[in-house]
Amino acid sequence: MFLHQLDLTTALRPSLLPEETLLFVQDAVGLYEGKFKIPQYQNGQAYLTSHRACYVDHDEPRQNSVAIFLRDVERSEFYAGFLKSSPKITLYPKPVKRLSLAPPVATSNTPTTPERRGSPVPASTPPLSATWVCPICSFSNPVPSNFDPATANARTPLPPCLACGIKPPLVHVVKAAISAMSNRQAPALPPKDDRNGLPGPSSGIGGRSISSGSNSLTCPRCTFQNHPSLTICEMCGGPLAPPADKRLEVAQELGRAESPGPSLSTPLKDETIECIKLSFRGGGEKIFYERLKNALVQRKWLLQSAPPIPKPRPASGNFDDGYSTTAAPSVDPERNKVVGIAGLERRGLEQRKNNEAVIGGAFEDLEALMTSAKEIIALAEQFAGQANLGTNGNPEASALASQSASALGLVTTKDMLGSGSGSESLYVSELSRNLAEWLTDDTRGVLRREGGIMTLVDLWAVFNRARGGVELVSPADFEKAARLWDKLKLPVRLRQFKSGLLVVQGRDRTDEKTIASLLAWLKEQHNEPPTVKVLWGWQEYGKGVTAQETAEHFGWSVGVATEELEMAEEAGALCREQGLDGVRFWENWLLKLPFEASTG
Amino acid sequence: MTSVSPLPGTPQPPSSTPAINPSTFQFPPIHAFPPFYTLQPNPTTRSSQLSSWSSLIQAYCRHNHLFSLTLADALSTPLFSNTTISRKLSLRDAKAIVQWMTTAEGGSRAEWIGASGKGGKGGTDGEGSGRCWVYWRRPEEWAGALEEWVERTGQKGTVLTLYEIVESDATRREEFWGMDAELLTKSLQICVKRGKAQVFGGEGSEGVKFF
Repeated sequence: MFLHQLDLTTALRPSLLPEETLLFVQDAVGLYEGKFKIPQYQNGQAYLTSHRACYVDHDEPRQNSVAIFLRDVERSEFYAGFLKSSPKITLYPKPVKRLSLAPPVATSNTPTTPERRGSPVPASTPPLSATWVCPICSFSNPVPSNFDPATANARTPLPPCLACGIKPPLVHVVKAAISAMSNRQAPALPPKDDRNGLPGPSSGIGGRSISSGSNSLTCPRCTFQNHPSLTICEMCGGPLAPPADKRLEVAQELGRAESPGPSLSTPLKDETIECIKLSFRGGGEKIFYERLKNALVQRKWLLQSAPPIPKPRPASGNFDDGYSTTAAPSVDPERNKVVGIAGLERRGLEQRKNNEAVIGGAFEDLEALMTSAKEIIALAEQFAGQANLGTNGNPEASALASQSASALGLVTTKDMLGSGSGSESLYVSELSRNLAEWLTDDTRGVLRREGGIMTLVDLWAVFNRARGGVELVSPADFEKAARLWDKLKLPVRLRQFKSGLLVVQGRDRTDEKTIASLLAWLKEQHNEPPTVKVLWGWQEYGKGVTAQETAEHFGWSVGVATEELEMAEEAGALCREQGLDGVRFWENWLLKLPFEASTG
Repeated sequence: MTSVSPLPGTPQPPSSTPAINPSTFQFPPIHAFPPFYTLQPNPTTRSSQLSSWSSLIQAYCRHNHLFSLTLADALSTPLFSNTTISRKLSLRDAKAIVQWMTTAEGGSRAEWIGASGKGGKGGTDGEGSGRCWVYWRRPEEWAGALEEWVERTGQKGTVLTLYEIVESDATRREEFWGMDAELLTKSLQICVKRGKAQVFGGEGSEGVKFF
């Protein structure tokens, strides 16, 4: 399974996995399978993330969108284009992996997330047969079984080469471990047997496949024909794909051919995919390829579920997770003994030393930074939190700002987009989607906190604040983006009041609903006696409300409340009373209670 | 001349109301609704409000037998100010209401005094004076009422003075009793135009003969 179904956000962008970051977006992209165009996948946007290359169709985004996991990509090729032929980037799937990795359950309807699919492998199980080749003497050394590339850093002890006794560089070992890991993920998925309902290895299918496989395993490194029961090459010590997996692959292929589920959404047969080409009709292919290559080198997906790194603390002899400064003392009996200012100072000192070591180690080398990315991100977030404590902003705003580190990963910035004629409009439409996503994100609840409606100016301020001071959006771009919501059919809408005030609200929030809620509120006033003595029959007419009161009651801003009240007045639901203390709005009894002329 | 015809059975709902409750006018509930005293910007609401005001003013004038209003003075009367809820209409709004009543949309239920015969331009002069006729019956209707009264009392062919029509005891129970001479003249002119009456005599001692 090379092509995966793609989950889209409300804004019709790919929903990013945890720790996945967006690298590049390009529109006017078409897909080819081998040499042939794939119908209905000919005009869309290509999203390159740290984990995937995604295609989102322009016309039918929910139906015709696919993702290719970069970890399934064997290699990529670049074709610069010639005359009428557009530049293309070709992605070749890994032949072994695409058969062995995907369990049949995941290929059907359930959206595939990498936690479910890949996490057992990189997280904790170091490959048994991983080897690193000594750069000095070329001897193949085994990677220590407790070595985890996701957590390794400069202080991880490394064994010297068994032949020449020279310690290898960390990066070298990490690379070896990673490549070994990504080549050999199959053994980590034992449940395949049960799901396929396969009988034992002696079944007909199994027997056939082994016999057809000539009963021997060819080492991918030295081509020595090993006995099928071996997992390591007898000659060079390299890893061998175990025969059990090959058998399973065949069975799996048979099983999948029968099930109609996975291929319904796409006209493609997974088994037949040789390669997928992305055709860049609107330019942008160079940057895309550049960043794709980087992403393939970085292999961020291996880091995705690495646990927090426990590290030895020489000063206290205890462990600190490095994420929080507050949690440690309560669980650490030894540190409780040092109390007061001395204790605080000591803790601060330790913390600083630790930070220093982490930062120092990380920036020594860009490659090393890659391996300790997780620590650095945690540290950066912690710093952001501390920086916010100093400012005297209101708590909500600072809470928003402290989310900025994570928000950064979600936003599209100008440099992520391709150049060319369409880049401006692409930027605006991406910004528009971004905004819509950000607004509808339930965890932030930006709109909800504002009573479901907020002015565009307020939103602009909050949004730029959430961006954390980088890649700020200009008001012009912002307004353009907001005006695109309708066109892009996003779940928020921009609304212009009579006075020209622009507000943002959910699409489901209509004038009728607003009026109904206003009237319901005014109806309540009939039942409860007013706090101050009033002269008219409040049971009959209720009471008039000012924009101020409305704003308080509904959590709107006063400007919005005024506009909403006037909108309701315009619709004839309310009427106004101009008094000395300003305008009050009432239920419209003028219409409901016409004067009966005959009663006099 | 001698005929006094009370005709109690005659359907005259407006005049029967004061008979039941001669002293106080029953204000409609809308009169106690605070926004009633602010002219509404919404056209639909506004026209509903204006017609309510128009009906109220007519009913009030009919009840109190008023044929004209001087807005500046009338603003402090219970018609335009509700002391119970301490709301009152502003002069500007009252003028707007009367202005609306003079239009065809308002049913031509009012006319600025001093504006007659001069057309639209005179209207502003009359508005400036702040005095207006309130036509709870329009002049045509008054003409009809007069003709009906003459018919009913058998005074066709008799010469009646204007004073007699509006001031005598004989007409005390009629709606037009106490009518301004100017308005009466207007109404009689309509009768003349219809060929139902003839006005003669000099200034101050006009007489009218219905036929």
